[in-house]
This record gives sequence, structure tokens and C-alpha cells, in this order.
Amino acid sequence: MIFDGEKEQRAVAEAFDYVIVGSGAAGATVARTLADSGASIAVVEEGPAVDTIEFDDHIFPTMQRIFRGGGLGALNARGHAFIPIFQGSCLGGTTVVNSAIIWRIPDDVWESWRSEYGLGQALPLPELHKNWDQIERDLYVEPTPPAVWGENNRLLDVAKTNLSVSAFPTRRNVRDCRGSARCSTGCPFGAKQSMLVSYLPYAVKRGATIFTSARVDRILMEGNQAKAVTGFFHTSTVKKDVAPFTLYARKAVIVAASAIQTPLLLARSGVRSPHLGSHFQGHPGCSLIGVFDQPVNLWSGATQGYESDEHRLDRRFKVEPLALPPELVFGAMPGVGQHWVENMAQAAHLAVWSAPIRAEAEGVVREGRFGTDVRYDLTRRDMLFLRQGLKFVADLFFAAGAREIIPNVHGLPERLKHPEDGRLLENGPDNPAAYSFALTHLFGTARMSVRSQDGVVGTDFCVHGARNFYVVDSSVFPTNLGVNPQHAIMGIAMLAARQIMAKNG
Amino acid sequence: MLNSRAHVVLDTLLPPHAHPSLPQGLFDAGFENFYQNFARTANGTLRNGFHFALFIAIWISPLLIRRIPPITLYSRETRERALAAMEVSRFYFLRQMMLILKNVAALCYGANREVRDAIGYPRQHDGLRDTQNERRSL
Repeated sequence: MIFDGEKEQRAVAEAFDYVIVGSGAAGATVARTLADSGASIAVVEEGPAVDTIEFDDHIFPTMQRIFRGGGLGALNARGHAFIPIFQGSCLGGTTVVNSAIIWRIPDDVWESWRSEYGLGQALPLPELHKNWDQIERDLYVEPTPPAVWGENNRLLDVAKTNLSVSAFPTRRNVRDCRGSARCSTGCPFGAKQSMLVSYLPYAVKRGATIFTSARVDRILMEGNQAKAVTGFFHTSTVKKDVAPFTLYARKAVIVAASAIQTPLLLARSGVRSPHLGSHFQGHPGCSLIGVFDQPVNLWSGATQGYESDEHRLDRRFKVEPLALPPELVFGAMPGVGQHWVENMAQAAHLAVWSAPIRAEAEGVVREGRFGTDVRYDLTRRDMLFLRQGLKFVADLFFAAGAREIIPNVHGLPERLKHPEDGRLLENGPDNPAAYSFALTHLFGTARMSVRSQDGVVGTDFCVHGARNFYVVDSSVFPTNLGVNPQHAIMGIAMLAARQIMAKNG
Repeated sequence: MLNSRAHVVLDTLLPPHAHPSLPQGLFDAGFENFYQNFARTANGTLRNGFHFALFIAIWISPLLIRRIPPITLYSRETRERALAAMEVSRFYFLRQMMLILKNVAALCYGANREVRDAIGYPRQHDGLRDTQNERRSL
């Protein structure tokens, strides 16, 4: 059942075997796995209960409803530049607003986790592959078929052929996708197999209870043992607390609240470690806009249906087309006044491709005086790879037939008109403030470690020094991945759930 | 309610009749109504940032082209030059303020049905969804 805290507005005090904080990729996967054991399960989600039928194609109201803090401006990583961070905050978490991209943990990343962090036994690769096999069956994962590529994705296929680079249709967890390009505001057709339409309904059918609009304040401890989760139901529009809740955990409390929220919750609950909130990593990226003679119609086709991993290993970036709705395309166009409108009028002829990098930078997540404080600054090497990534995107665009490129980089011309102009990007500014970044895919703020002095969470996913207190989301990852993390998060969460189940009976 | 100076800044930022295929200006696209909702529901950072960005546009941007503020003293052409100078300013803070102004304006403008029709954004199929068959979520 679903207990919608926003509607019910009454206090709750109940006991369950397991209480899971967060309903995104990690929380929902744990709920789905534990549900098979017959245990009683509560899933606590800060965001509202939503339904596919609610997902609107107008960005502002949709962001207000399903993104943390309403999306734009709500959370920024602060350093030499303000980098907006986007997180889903609704039932299903960020899986509702991501592009459904599926990547297993690359072998090179897993090998570094084994050799540098000693996590080979804790995260056995054969078992992870079994989990990924199951998840891919459950979520209908397959490469994006040409029928739903749309022109934005198809042009990257053209560039691949012309430049002979490694690129391929993106593997996605979708079923009967129509190519409506609306992944990032919630698929209105229920085609994207987010947790909202897959693992959460599965768990509910097997008796799980989901509490929505329920903000967790802290984990109540008795000695070193996690006993309960406590917080307030709130209304999503005015963020007003309406009633308290306390959910007692007979067997375990499992935290899966994201690499931003998890360390803050752990800190509020009394967990102390110099690593808590530290080692924050992500995949910052910038986009270029390609202008084509023929219509591209960015709003037709899979949101992200094709990608290039040509330089994933040597230069730490991928390339991905990205469909944007008119509101966001307009916001990215240069100019003011008449000039801005003239640029907007070209919207149908624009393609948008981004270069997210596997940044080496590590930041810090803390509770600040005015809310969540994320400090994060890219390294010189990160900036080097970013510039090389943008140059590569420009090469791809021109190879696909782009007439011009709009770089949106301060200090560069508004439009690049010749393939040689790509060098301007490669030799562009070193200052992150010259670029328009977005930061997605967040990791590392409660990292797993063999020794307690090296991290926050042990190799059994239990907080060092605590009992029945687990963390299973991407906070525990020792590094970022260089690829989209949903599948990695789910595979590891499934592994954790099975271990927790085996330990607690 | 937006004051008259803010109104002038936003009308300069996204004017009517600037392009044959996009004759609507920001206020033709319903910004007054949008703003009422925005002021009530946007997060504090964005809402305050927008108001502060308007203040900067009114009182600081003219200085960038060696004019005495406020921006409302000048012709549309001069106002556009002031805002354009803010957009490409060497000061990151000023560029960020312009980014906020443009993003908020675009949230309204890009959602307008006539604007969407003009750029070829298709009418979505939401109204045709079979709610019984496609309501796959909880």
C-alpha cells in the first residue's frame, strides 16, 4: 500500500522488519529483493507520490513536482563555478527523470575498486553480472532501435560512420518507447521502466508499504544499533510539516537516499567519520549546440538514444545526444532582445550533444547555514579533458553535416563555422566559470572501505561501528564510473539486499 | 506583481515582433500569469535570484555601456546593448544573473502553445493516452 503523507496528514508509528529510506534505483531494488523473502517492508520517500498520468510537457510545473527543490537553482555545486545539480525527488527518485541509460560497471573501474580499494570480495563481479542479467530482463533493457532514434541521435550515427569512431545505440530500460523525447520530465506513457512503474509496484504487490512526502530527520539509535526512522510528512507545494512519523525497524534500517542526502542524514543521526560527506564525485558535463540546414526536431526521438565511448578510457569522457524541451533549448540560446528571438527561431534545426566527463575532482557535501552545501571544484586535468571532449563533439557535429556550432563558452565566438574552429574549444579557457555545466551522477560521500579509518561503510554495507544500519546507494562507491550509474547502483543494491537478508534471516 | 522597471527589462529581453515566425513577446506569451505562479512556488534560490537579477539589470547593466542607471531611461536599442553587455560581461556574477533572467523567461516562453507551434514543437499525445492501459505506475 501507499501511505501518501501529503494527503493523510496524520501521525504514524509502526514497526516493520526493514525500513528503507529512499525509493530510487537503490531503495526500490532493495525493496524488490527483500519483498521476495516475505519480510515486512517500509519504503520512505521524501518526494510526492506521482503517477505517469501527471507528467506534463511543461517544464516548470513538472520540475516543481518531481525534482528536488523544483530543479533549477535548487542545488548547486560551488567552486570557481556554480554547477547545477539535478535530482529527482518523487516516488521512484531520479529513475523517473533520467534517460534510462543502462551500463554495467566497466571492467577497468571494477578492477581499480579491487586493486586500489580492496573491494573485490565485497563486490564480486560474477554475482554482480548475475544481478545485472536479472535486472535487464526485468526492465526490458535493449539497444535503442532506429525507429525511435529521431534525428538528434541519428546524426551521431552519421558522424560515427564518417569519422570511424566507436559509437552505438544506447541500451535503455524502456518498453514500447515512442520516442517522445520526454524522459527527463517523466515518461508520460509509462514506457521508461523507472522504479515507479517496475520494482516499486512489485514490492507493493508483495506487501511493502510506501510512505511518500515523508522527510526523514534522523535514524534513532539505541547504543550502536539502528532502531527506527523518524521525520515528518510534509506538503510538497509549501514544504510545510504536517505530521510526525516514526517507523521502527525490527531487523535493519537501510539508507538509499542519494550521495547528497545520505551523508547529511547519517551526520544528523550521529555517525562521525572524516570521510562522511567527503570524496564527493560526479560526472560534470557541457553541451554544444549544432545548427543544421535540415530540421532536426530535437523533441522527436529517444531523449538519449545513441552514444560514443571513443574516449571513455583515454580522455575520460563520453558523448551523448540530449533532447531538450523548448524551454531549455531557448534558455541555452545566446543573445538578448531581437538577437535572442532570432536564435530561438532556429530551434527546429538544432541538435544538442553533451560531453560528460569522469572528473577526478572530489568535493564535500555538508549541512550549511542556508541548507545543503556542496563544494566542488574541477581539477586542471578535468578541464583539459572537458576541452578535449568539446573539441571531439565539434568534430562529430561537423562530420554529421552541421553548418555551425554554438559553443556557449565565454570568450569564444558565438558561432563556430569551420571544422578548424574546433581548436578554439580545445585551447579554450581553463576557468570552469567560462562554461555552462550541469552535474549528474553523484558518488562517494559514504564510501565503502575494508578498514573503518578509510571510509564510512564496511564491506557488508553496514556503517562502521554500527549494527543493523546499512547504506546501499552510490554514496558507498569509492569512485565515479565514467558511465551512467543506474545499473551499477541497482546491481550493487541487489547484492547488498541479499547479504542483509542472509544475515538477518 | 512586477514593477514597471522590471517589466521594461523583461520586455527588452524578449520583445514582441522581433522575428516573423516568433511575433510573440514575453508578455504576449503570458508572463504575468506565469510570474504569479513562479513567485508562489519557485524555490527561494531561484525566486530571489530572479529578483536580484532584475535589480542588477536595472541598476548595473547600464554602467557596462557607460550609461547612468536606471536602464529605463533609455531607448530599446540602448537597453538591449546594456543587457547584451551583461550577458558577455567578464564578471561571472553578472553573466550568471543574465542566465537566471533568460532561464526564467524561457520557462514561460517555451511553454506557450503559439510559440511551440511556431517552432514546430508537436502537440503532445497526452490527451490521447488510454489511462486504463497506460497507467502503469502505482
